[in-house]
Amino acid sequence: MAMKKKRYALVIDSRKCINCKACVVACKAENNVPIGNFRNRINEERKGEYPKLSINFEPEQCHHCAEPSCVRVCPTGASWQRKDGIVLVNYDECIGCRYCMVACPYDARYFNEEQGVVDKCTLCSHRVDKGDTPACVETCPSKVRVFGDLEDTSSRIHELLSTRRYRVKEPQTGNGPQLYYLL
Amino acid sequence: MHEFNWGLLIVIYLFLGGLSAGLFFAAGLADYMTVDDKPVYARVARMGAFLAPWPVAIGSGLLILDLGNWYRFYKLFIHFRWESPMSIGSYLLTIFTVIAFLYLFAWLTADERQWLFSKVPATWKQVHRLNVDISSWRGKIAMVGFPFSIGVGIYTGVLLGAVSARPFWNTNLVAQMFLFSALSSGAAALMLAMVLNKKSPAEKHEIKFLVTLDVVFISLELFIILPYLIHGQLSSLAVKQALSLILGGPYTFVFWGPFLVMGLLVPLAIEVYELAPNIFKGHEFHGSRNLALTAAGLVLIGGFLLRYIFVYAGQVSSFHQMGMLN
Ligand code: SF4
Ligand code: SF4
Repeated sequence: MAMKKKRYALVIDSRKCINCKACVVACKAENNVPIGNFRNRINEERKGEYPKLSINFEPEQCHHCAEPSCVRVCPTGASWQRKDGIVLVNYDECIGCRYCMVACPYDARYFNEEQGVVDKCTLCSHRVDKGDTPACVETCPSKVRVFGDLEDTSSRIHELLSTRRYRVKEPQTGNGPQLYYLL
Repeated sequence: MHEFNWGLLIVIYLFLGGLSAGLFFAAGLADYMTVDDKPVYARVARMGAFLAPWPVAIGSGLLILDLGNWYRFYKLFIHFRWESPMSIGSYLLTIFTVIAFLYLFAWLTADERQWLFSKVPATWKQVHRLNVDISSWRGKIAMVGFPFSIGVGIYTGVLLGAVSARPFWNTNLVAQMFLFSALSSGAAALMLAMVLNKKSPAEKHEIKFLVTLDVVFISLELFIILPYLIHGQLSSLAVKQALSLILGGPYTFVFWGPFLVMGLLVPLAIEVYELAPNIFKGHEFHGSRNLALTAAGLVLIGGFLLRYIFVYAGQVSSFHQMGMLN
């Protein structure tokens, strides 16, 4: 049976984000992320002064770039990309040189001191492969995050990206980031 | 605000790798320089050959210890990834180190060679077979080693320059800057060793050779740094902001003071002061011992600071910290 081509991505409606950090906690629990490290974060952008103060919350994690610079620089091939676009680290091959951390324009990676390897968001590939959604997507109470396959024209994220305006962060990095922020 | 993934060990590694490249280059050049077919700089070449392999060997050792899993370093050599500067560099560095040790071996006197092999147990027959005189290969080894030494010098820059995510590094001038800085550090280290060698004091023409070499390399380095600054100012916003790290930002002082003035301009001035009367007025070259030591010491410190500034400032630079300095 011929497999249909897949391209996983996340659409993020950051205006709905209330900075409850449920996604951060869910990710840590799901993936056993060491204390002090995070695979996702909420960026806060403040504008103006009190009382005319506004804050934007913008969830961010690995962008699972189309042209991932982390994969390009890895000397051992430990950082690699699946056919469906998910960028992963093969922990057995990682020597802990941290070149990929330096080379990631989105600071999406962290160093696991205990194991001496680099780690980051896996887009919960273990859940996705079973047909589930990533833990952060499932847990988000304000439905900020939409996970799906860009190649599937009937998917929700396909619909969102074809009807709504959106942006990606710093496209000038040339990495082809795949977190789509709705405007 | 920003944590550094690469620290002092990377700085030291880049510095030592470049230093070896520069030492080898200067030694090989001295090997080739003859006056009336006589090898007048043979002692310089020998000293360079003796020093060249060690910094890179130590530096590579340090880098391996800096890895998260140091015992997995062999994985660097079971993969080859041409897109990864670190992968190419690992092979380059290894080949260069082997050549540098071979070159050292070729410069051993017969006595030194016998002494070395007297330390090897007599039953190790295979090792004793290596006890051969390869001094006639010196020129050939130097010839093969030249491109590798240049390659190592460039690699230390490319490792940073090839990272598109860091605008402070990602210009095509960093590789040359590091190369010329490496060659200059090599000449300076050799000068330091020659002058400090009490047993057979350096002769004037030898110091003059190294001073001349260093003046050329420092000048080349200066004329890469200048375009780097100008080019950066005229470049895209991200590069311009990255440059502000050394133009008003936290690395301004160490860049302009200790590095540019003390590490480049002052030694250049000393060396020109030493050379100029000889070249323009035909006076004898004095070769002041203290001035040579000062210049060489400053060049080495400058070379180290250049790596320090680039490794640290580069990691701070990025595409998304638009208001990073205000
Ligand atoms: S965001 Fe960083 S870690 Fe994730 S794929 Fe892109 S370059 Fe790699
Ligand atoms: S730290 Fe690991 S994954 Fe990252 S570049 Fe080095 S070997 Fe590759």
